[in-house]
Amino acid sequence: MRRIFQFLRRSPSRIREDVDTEVRFHLDARADELIRAGLTETQAWAQARREFGDLDDARRYMRQIDRRTERSTRRRNLMWDVRHDVQYALRRLAASPGFAAASILTLALGIGANTAIFSIVHAVVLRPLPFPDPDRLYAVYSANRTADLLQASVSPVDLDDWRAQRRQIEDLGGYLYGEGSTGIDLTERGQPRRLDVVFFTPGFLTTLGIAPAAGRLPREDELVRGGHDRIVMLTHSFWLREFGASPAIVGASLTLGNAPYEVVGVLPADLRFPAERADVFIPYSTIPDSGIPRLRQVRVLTVVARARAGVSQAAVNTEMDTIARRLAEQYQVNRAWDATTVVPLHEVVTGAVRLPLLVLLGAVGFVVLMACVNLAGLQLARAVGRGREMGVRLALGARRGRLVRQLLTESLVLAVCGGIVGLALAAVITSALLALAGDQLPRASEVRLDGPVIAFSLLLSIVTGVLFGLVPAWRSSSLRVQEMLREGGRGTVTADSSRLRAGLIVAEVALAVILVVGAALMGRSFLALMDVDSGFKPEGLIAVQFTINPAKYAPPPGAAGPGPQRPPGPAPYTRFYREVIDKVRTLPGVVSAAAVKDPPFRGNGERNGFGIPGKPVPAGQDPPTATVIHISDGYFKTIGARMIDGREFTPDDRFDTPFVVVVNEAFARQYFPGTKAVGQRLLRGPTNAIEIVGVVNDIRQVAVAEPARPTMYVNNLQNSRIKTTIVARTQGDPAAMAGAIRDAIWSLDREQPITAIFTFDDSISRALARPRLVTVLLLSFGAIGLLLGVVGIYGILAFLVQQRQPEIGVRIALGARPSHVSAMFMRRGLTLTAAGIGIGLIGAFLLRRFLVAVLYGVGPTDPATFAGVAVTLLLAAAAASWIPARRAARVDPVVTLRTQ
Amino acid sequence: MDTDRLNLLQGTLDVLVLQALANGPLHGYAVSRFVRDRTRGTLQIEDAPLYKALHRLEHAGCVAAEWGVSENNRRARYYRLTTAGRRRLRRDAHAWRRYATAVASVLGPK
Repeated sequence: MRRIFQFLRRSPSRIREDVDTEVRFHLDARADELIRAGLTETQAWAQARREFGDLDDARRYMRQIDRRTERSTRRRNLMWDVRHDVQYALRRLAASPGFAAASILTLALGIGANTAIFSIVHAVVLRPLPFPDPDRLYAVYSANRTADLLQASVSPVDLDDWRAQRRQIEDLGGYLYGEGSTGIDLTERGQPRRLDVVFFTPGFLTTLGIAPAAGRLPREDELVRGGHDRIVMLTHSFWLREFGASPAIVGASLTLGNAPYEVVGVLPADLRFPAERADVFIPYSTIPDSGIPRLRQVRVLTVVARARAGVSQAAVNTEMDTIARRLAEQYQVNRAWDATTVVPLHEVVTGAVRLPLLVLLGAVGFVVLMACVNLAGLQLARAVGRGREMGVRLALGARRGRLVRQLLTESLVLAVCGGIVGLALAAVITSALLALAGDQLPRASEVRLDGPVIAFSLLLSIVTGVLFGLVPAWRSSSLRVQEMLREGGRGTVTADSSRLRAGLIVAEVALAVILVVGAALMGRSFLALMDVDSGFKPEGLIAVQFTINPAKYAPPPGAAGPGPQRPPGPAPYTRFYREVIDKVRTLPGVVSAAAVKDPPFRGNGERNGFGIPGKPVPAGQDPPTATVIHISDGYFKTIGARMIDGREFTPDDRFDTPFVVVVNEAFARQYFPGTKAVGQRLLRGPTNAIEIVGVVNDIRQVAVAEPARPTMYVNNLQNSRIKTTIVARTQGDPAAMAGAIRDAIWSLDREQPITAIFTFDDSISRALARPRLVTVLLLSFGAIGLLLGVVGIYGILAFLVQQRQPEIGVRIALGARPSHVSAMFMRRGLTLTAAGIGIGLIGAFLLRRFLVAVLYGVGPTDPATFAGVAVTLLLAAAAASWIPARRAARVDPVVTLRTQ
Repeated sequence: MDTDRLNLLQGTLDVLVLQALANGPLHGYAVSRFVRDRTRGTLQIEDAPLYKALHRLEHAGCVAAEWGVSENNRRARYYRLTTAGRRRLRRDAHAWRRYATAVASVLGPK
C-alpha cells in the first residue's frame, strides 16, 4: 500500500491562519468582481460580506472541523506506520528464521515461567479471599505475654464473652479443625467411615459472609448447648461425592457418631477455609464435656472476626485487648491472658507459603531479565550487521525517531510472539507445578490462567520487548551516517558499542550468579533437611488410625463419669484399645506394634501445664507447659527411638499401678539440667506426683525442620484418649500389612471406622513436599540461568571475533602467534565474567534477607556456596569463551585480507 | 424569506459542491460562482454554508484540499474530489434525479 497524500502536520494556530486566508481570498475575489461590475469599493465589500452570510460562525465551524480532520489524519498515519512496521518486522523475522526461533523460544521460556509462577502467586497470595469484603476479616488469638504465647487458640467460654461485649466488630466466631484429627463416624450408609469435621460456633459462618449453595445457614439457636444443635452443613465436595448434589438431601437425617443429625444446608463450592478437604460442618456445641471440657482454660478455637466498615485493624485490636483485659481481671484462670493478637485473615491463610512464593517470583524475574539481556545481545549483533541499511535510510532522509520506532516494533513483535508461546507454556508449567505441590499449597484450586494473569504476561511481553529492543534501537539512532556507509555495512566496532557488549556480559553473569547462588543454597538446604535425624526409623513402619467411640464402651448408668483431670477408674474403652494392640502384635509379619495418639508429623500433641515439686511457680505466673503425647507400651521400640536413660512403658504399667511418665532429652535438659531426670517427680494436676521412669531421645513431632520441644510421654492406659494410631514395624513392605491390621481391628469390632492408613515414608515425603517444590523450582531457574549465561557469553564473544576478523588477520599476518590471539579473547571474556561474578555475589549478599525464609540448616551467605558458585561460573564462562577464542586463532590472514 | 427560494437542505448543498468539483480542482470562490451560475439565482445560497460543506466533505474524506496559486496570483485553497467523493457524487446525484422525477410526475405538466 502506498500513501496517496502526505499531509503536512497543521497546528491549531496554523489552522486558524489557513481558515482566515481562505475566507479573505473569497471576499477579495468577490469584491473585485463586483467592482468590475460597477459597484464602488464600499458597496462591493458590503455586498460580498452580505452574500457570505454569518462570517464568524462559518470561521468557527471550519476551524473546528479542520482540527478534527487533522486529528484523524494523524491517527490514520500512525496506524499506517505501525502496520507497515509490523509487516516489515514480520518479513525480516521470516527472513532469518533461526534468529526468530531462538529469540521466541528464549522469551517464551522466560515469560512462560514467570506467568506460571505469577498465576500461583496471584491465586494464593494476591487475590482477595473469596468472601464479601475480605479485607475486613481478621483472625483473633488469645495472648499470654508472660508465657510468650502470642497466638494461642481461644476458649469457647471467652469467645461467648467476646461476642457479647463487641462494639466495633460486626461479628466473630470460631472453629475447631485438624485435618485427620477432628472427625465423626458416619454409619448406616454403607461402610462405616470417619468424616473430616469442622466444628464451628455461632457467628462463624455469618462472620465469613457465607451464602449456602443449597438449604439454609443454621439459626443461632441451633448452635448452642440445649438448642436443637444436632444439625450438619455439608461441604460442597462431600455433597457432590456422596449425594450427587441432590437438593433433596436438605432436611434429611444422617447418623453421625451414632446420633441423628439433620442436614440443614450445603456450603458453597469455593469455600476452602478453614479446611481444604473437610466433609461436614457441625456445631461446636455438640462436643460433650467428656470430649473437650467447656472451661476458660481450655483454649481450642481459632477465631475470625469481621470489623465494621471503616474500622481499622488497630481499632479491632484495641477493642479485643480491652475485652481480654476485662476478662483477665474478672476470672482467675484468665489473669495472664490479658491481651489478643489480631492478624488479617488473608495473612493467616497464606502465611506459610507467602515468602517462598515471593522468593520464587523474584527468582523467575531474574530469569526473564537474563532472557532480555540475551536478546539484547542478539539484537545488537543484528543491528550492527544492518549498519549499512540504517545508514542508507538515514542518508535518504528517514528521521531517526522513525528508525528507532521501527526497531522497537521489531522487538515488540518478537516479544508478543514469545508471550503467546509463553502463555501456552505457562499452562503446562502451572499444572505440573500444582501436581508437584501436592496438598502443600493453600488455595491451589483457585489457580487458573485468568484475566489478570493474561494481562500480566502481556505486560511482561511488552516490557521485555522494550527492554531488549531499546539497546539496539538507542544505539542505531546514535550512529553517524558516513561512518556506517564507509565501513561497508559491516558496522563499526566503536568504543561505544564494545562497552555496551561488555556491559551485557557483565549483567548476564551477575544475574546468573544470583540465580545459581539461590539454587545452590536451596539445594544444600534441602539436603540438610533430608539429612535431619528425626529421632526414629520411619522405614518399615505402617500406621492405621482410628477413633474409638466411647459411647459404645460406656459404663453402666450410675458409674461416675470421666472428668478431665483424673477419672476415678480406667476409661472403659481402653479395654478395646488394649485388645487391638495385643491382636496386632500376634499378626504374622509384624515385628512389633504399639499405639500413639499423635504420630510424628501427623499431629502436634497436646500442650499441658505441669509443676515440679519443690519449685513453686511464682505468683502471677502460669506453670511451665510441655507437649504431651499419649502412647502405649513398646512405642519407642516399635518406631526405633532410643532410650537415653531408664525404661519405656511396659504392659505392667496400668491404670492400677503408679502413674509414670517418660520425657524427651529436650525436657530433661530444660527442667533438670545437670541432674539425672529419671527418678524425679512431676506434678500433673494439683496433687498427683508422677515419676519420670525414662528419658527418650528427641523425636521430631511437628515438622522435619522443627526441633523437638520439651515433651512428656504419658501412658494412654493411665490418661486415656480416644484417638488412636496403631504403629507397626513390619517385615517386608509395610503397606502390604495395612489390610491385615485393619482386618484385625474389624475382627474385634466390625463397626469401627478407620480414619487413615499411612506409612511414615509418606508422612515425611508430605512434610518435605513444600521445600522440595521450592528446591526443584530454584534449581531449574538456576540451571536456566546458567544456560542462558553461557549461551549469552558465547554469542557475544563469537560475534566479536567475527567482527574483528580483519584486524585479527592483520595481526596474524604481522606475526602474532595464534595462541596469543586466542588468549586475548579468553582474557576479555574472563575479565568481564569476573566483574559479573563480583557484582552478582554482592547482589546475592544484598538479597540474603529474602532467602532466609526458605532455607534450613544453611546460612544465606554460606561462604562455601558463594565460592563454589563463583568457580562454577568462571569455568562455564571459560568454556563459553574458549570456542570463539579458538576460532579467532584459526583466522586465515590470506582469506581475510583478500576479502578486504 | 421568499417563498420560491428554496431553503436548502445540507445534503443538497453537498451534492452541488461535489458536482462543482467534478470537472477538476477549484478554490472555494470558484465553487460558489459555479453554483450561483448554474442555478441562475433560483437557489439563494449564502457562501458560509458552502464553505462549511467544503470543510465537512474534507473531514469525511470526499474532497482533498491543497494550497495553490489562483489566476490572480494569490494563495488559494484548492479542493478536488477523491475517489470516495466521486462515488458519493454518483450515488447522491442518482438519488436526487429520481426524487426530482418523482415530484415532477406528481405535479404533472404546467
